[in-house]
Amino acid sequence: MTTAFIDRRTLLKTGASALALTASGVPAAVAQEKRLRMYWWGSRERAERTFKVNDLYSARNPGVKIDGETLSWGDYWPRLATQAAGRNAPDIIQMDYRYIFEYARRGALLALDEFMPAVLNIADFGKDAIDSGRVDGKVYGVSLGLNSTAILYNKTAFEAAGVNPPTHETTWAQFAEICAELTKATKKEGFWGSQDGGGVEPGLEIWMRQRGKALYTPEGKLGFDAKDIAEWYGYWDDMRKRKACVPPDVQALDRGSNDSAMLSLGKAATAFEHSNLLVGYQTLNPQKLSMTMYPTGGPGAKPGQYLKPSQMWSVYARTKFNEEAARIVNFFVEDQEAAKVLTVERGVPASAAMRKFITPDLNELDQQSIRYISLVSDRVGPLPAPPPNGAGEIQRTLRRINEEVGFARTTVNAAGKQFIEEAQSILARG
Amino acid sequence: MTDGMHRRPIVGSGTVVRARALSLGIHLLLCGTSLVMLYPLLWMLASSCKPENEIFSSMSIWPSRLDFDAYVRGWSGLKIGFGRFFWNSLVISVLCVIGNVLSCSLAAYAFARLRFKGKNFWFALMLGTLMLPYHVTLIPQYILFLSLDWVDTILPLVVPKYMATDAFFIFLMVQFFRGIPRELDEAAMMDGCSPWRIYRKVILPLSLPVLATAAIFTFIFTWDDFFAPLIYLNDIGSYTVQLGLRAFVDSSGKSDWGALFAMSVLVLVPVVAFFLFFQRLLIEGVATTGLKR
Amino acid sequence: MSRASANDTRAYLFLLPWFAGFFCLTTGPTLASLFLSFTSFDLIQAPRWIGAANYVRIATNDVSFIASLKVTFFFVAFAVPLKLGFALAVAMALNKGIRGLPLYRAIFYLPSLLGASVAIAVLWRKLFSGDGLVNKVLALVGIHGPSWISDPDYSIYTLVVLSVWQFGSPMIIFLAGLRQIPHDVYEAASLEGASKRRQFFKITLPLLTPVIFFNAIVQTIDAFKAFTPAFIISEGTGGPVRSTLFYTLYLYQEAFAYFRMGYAAALAWVLVLIIAFFTAVSFITARYWVHYDD
Repeated sequence: MTTAFIDRRTLLKTGASALALTASGVPAAVAQEKRLRMYWWGSRERAERTFKVNDLYSARNPGVKIDGETLSWGDYWPRLATQAAGRNAPDIIQMDYRYIFEYARRGALLALDEFMPAVLNIADFGKDAIDSGRVDGKVYGVSLGLNSTAILYNKTAFEAAGVNPPTHETTWAQFAEICAELTKATKKEGFWGSQDGGGVEPGLEIWMRQRGKALYTPEGKLGFDAKDIAEWYGYWDDMRKRKACVPPDVQALDRGSNDSAMLSLGKAATAFEHSNLLVGYQTLNPQKLSMTMYPTGGPGAKPGQYLKPSQMWSVYARTKFNEEAARIVNFFVEDQEAAKVLTVERGVPASAAMRKFITPDLNELDQQSIRYISLVSDRVGPLPAPPPNGAGEIQRTLRRINEEVGFARTTVNAAGKQFIEEAQSILARG
Repeated sequence: MTDGMHRRPIVGSGTVVRARALSLGIHLLLCGTSLVMLYPLLWMLASSCKPENEIFSSMSIWPSRLDFDAYVRGWSGLKIGFGRFFWNSLVISVLCVIGNVLSCSLAAYAFARLRFKGKNFWFALMLGTLMLPYHVTLIPQYILFLSLDWVDTILPLVVPKYMATDAFFIFLMVQFFRGIPRELDEAAMMDGCSPWRIYRKVILPLSLPVLATAAIFTFIFTWDDFFAPLIYLNDIGSYTVQLGLRAFVDSSGKSDWGALFAMSVLVLVPVVAFFLFFQRLLIEGVATTGLKR
Repeated sequence: MSRASANDTRAYLFLLPWFAGFFCLTTGPTLASLFLSFTSFDLIQAPRWIGAANYVRIATNDVSFIASLKVTFFFVAFAVPLKLGFALAVAMALNKGIRGLPLYRAIFYLPSLLGASVAIAVLWRKLFSGDGLVNKVLALVGIHGPSWISDPDYSIYTLVVLSVWQFGSPMIIFLAGLRQIPHDVYEAASLEGASKRRQFFKITLPLLTPVIFFNAIVQTIDAFKAFTPAFIISEGTGGPVRSTLFYTLYLYQEAFAYFRMGYAAALAWVLVLIIAFFTAVSFITARYWVHYDD
């Protein structure tokens, strides 16, 4: 009965290979086997590396099979939500720093503390990197890579224009200066110093943290007021007026993916991004890219940036194999062989040991990521308070209102008030 | 044909010239429009042969050098080759075409030709199923299929087609069946034919154009469908081509756009082939059955 | 009486697959979504009954609802007639015995095959940006165009163009309809000396009305529910500003980006009411202009 059932399923699951399998009489001997589902978003390259690590794990742990399921970012979340609603989510789930709060608080994820350190030994991550996977005191995510915000810039363009690119000591005011200068000095038509960053949430967050404020308070309220946000919109309005950044109708071509970013389209020399995206951007760009930190708040300002996980492994709350899942997660972040395959594709390993182990074999671009993380490490502030429910919608609101200012549908001050009103009503709704 | 030959001497030579000019004009217009229609395909072809870093930064359609490596990378990438995705898509699409044409034509015949109680009510309900956005029935449906243990098989994609769940096709066929002269089935009825025989011997043969249309659409809609496979097929080994395409690119890493465009071009081949094959039925259909009014 | 019920039974036999699908596959999820529209449901925790609160909010306090409704009505009003007109014109042109006909048909159908692919999203942005091909062509005739796709005043037009450009499905249906008109009707008319134009208005158009009606209804419903074009072109944001925030895109954001499936379900049922109203009106007017043989 069991075999008949399995045959039917395998047959229906796929076409050719399953047909061939049943025809050749190979029985599906999976009765004792542990089969786990692992789910991640990412490109083809990530898929290849992840499959390789899964095979390594199966080779070392006979009887454990990991079925990989991969999609791109945009398609990833509706499927996960549907499966979670059906209580059929994968055992091991790649998590994003924003969504982990949404899923963990609703009880979809497993707290991993009980497996630490016996199965999941990540002590060498350091306190901050472990805490970045904590929600309400418990560990729900294990960092797959250290990450921080970064300005990616077109090194070639700066050199050609004879302008010095921004550094980690550049202030916001100097950044505006540099970008305006680049726009003027460049010979290329339709090319500006910077993208319009008024809708970039991490930019706003850093800006606020440098002023001793925050996006959200620990109580889940807004950490700034209408005047603060109006200053931010004002900074970018000024950038647009000085032609230091792209005009609004050019910026609106950016739909939040790196292929449509101003830097990739050859419209601007700098992009407000995250450090793990350097490699992805470089493949789309014939010119040489480099990266540095977001502008600083000037003398006396607090550090704005912080280290966060580029992505995490989480374990589904209803998994049948909780310990095995934790062991697989551990394998990904603390095993040398696995680290060698994964390198820094998901971000710089949080484990100090793994980082040290893989560094010598990395290419120049990947080395740059590692150097960047160590540069940032000395200049970061504490982890911010977790984003409350509704933060995702507020993020889009920030961008929309920046567009409204850009297209002159509202003024900077009105925009500040409007943002606060909308954000508060979103937070009240939850 | 003979008809045309009779007619030709009657019309004046001026009309011939005008007809020629008209035909030339239509040709020119069609060629021009074709170019607009073809441009994206040409652009995709060009992008698939370009070096990766030229795809977005360069405005030119011409690659600086030809590079077919993307086809190789695309076909063999992702652990499971793209050939498997093609096969999966093909199996699902063909099964859907058969189910949809059969079940929808049965239902459409009843709605178009038979008299029964509550016909208008059921017809309105049927149309009503077209109106609800699928995003909100997705999760209940997922739970339904999950309880049947159908998730991660092709059943949720195929079985509904055998139950005429796509009202679009029923409605389409109803409209065409109603265009078939009633005298034909009345005559058959007089001869003592059952509705089943009329359906098979009168309606279906006279409806080849619409059946071909339904077959073409079902194949294409299924082949292009992305959301249902996204939700119901988990394992990468059972992915369809559309899911496979989406796995090449992701903002958070090193995407393979070249492979995406290369495979996007290849994915078109079966649909175009299917279309070219079935459109013959669409065209020849009625002409050869010699329908008279 | 018994004859009538025998007829009923026979009809129900033909409808058996449809009934099976309707009751086993469609009804349950549909009623479930109706139920969810009266709840607060975050996809993961169990839904919580909140009465008509979702509908009250839609009716009284939702700016995005109004904005998305405007965008959607605009889209329906422009895209549907243009697409149908274009499809009919091309179908008429392709119905003649010209050489290379199958090839033309395939070429004209091609845009519809490309559907919602990622490639189209990229290409559309390229074509309709400030320095894109469209503006280069316009520049030849001295028009300096805006950045169509990223200017909130124009971006919706690029989606109308995309929709019209993908006119393949209605075109094929028109072609099939034209094919079903028997030759001898035209022959008889020709013998009576009716001009081409007269034949078109007296024969082609009336006999084609069931198909025109079908295309109009289906395209209108589709346009109201339009999701994919806006989703792929704006990557789900509905921007710039709210200029491409289609109704179903807004609904999708609520459901899957903001975890408010209950509210999304209420939005969906409001849309059903709107579509049902327009469809009902169409069916009532159809009595006056759609010509059936029965």
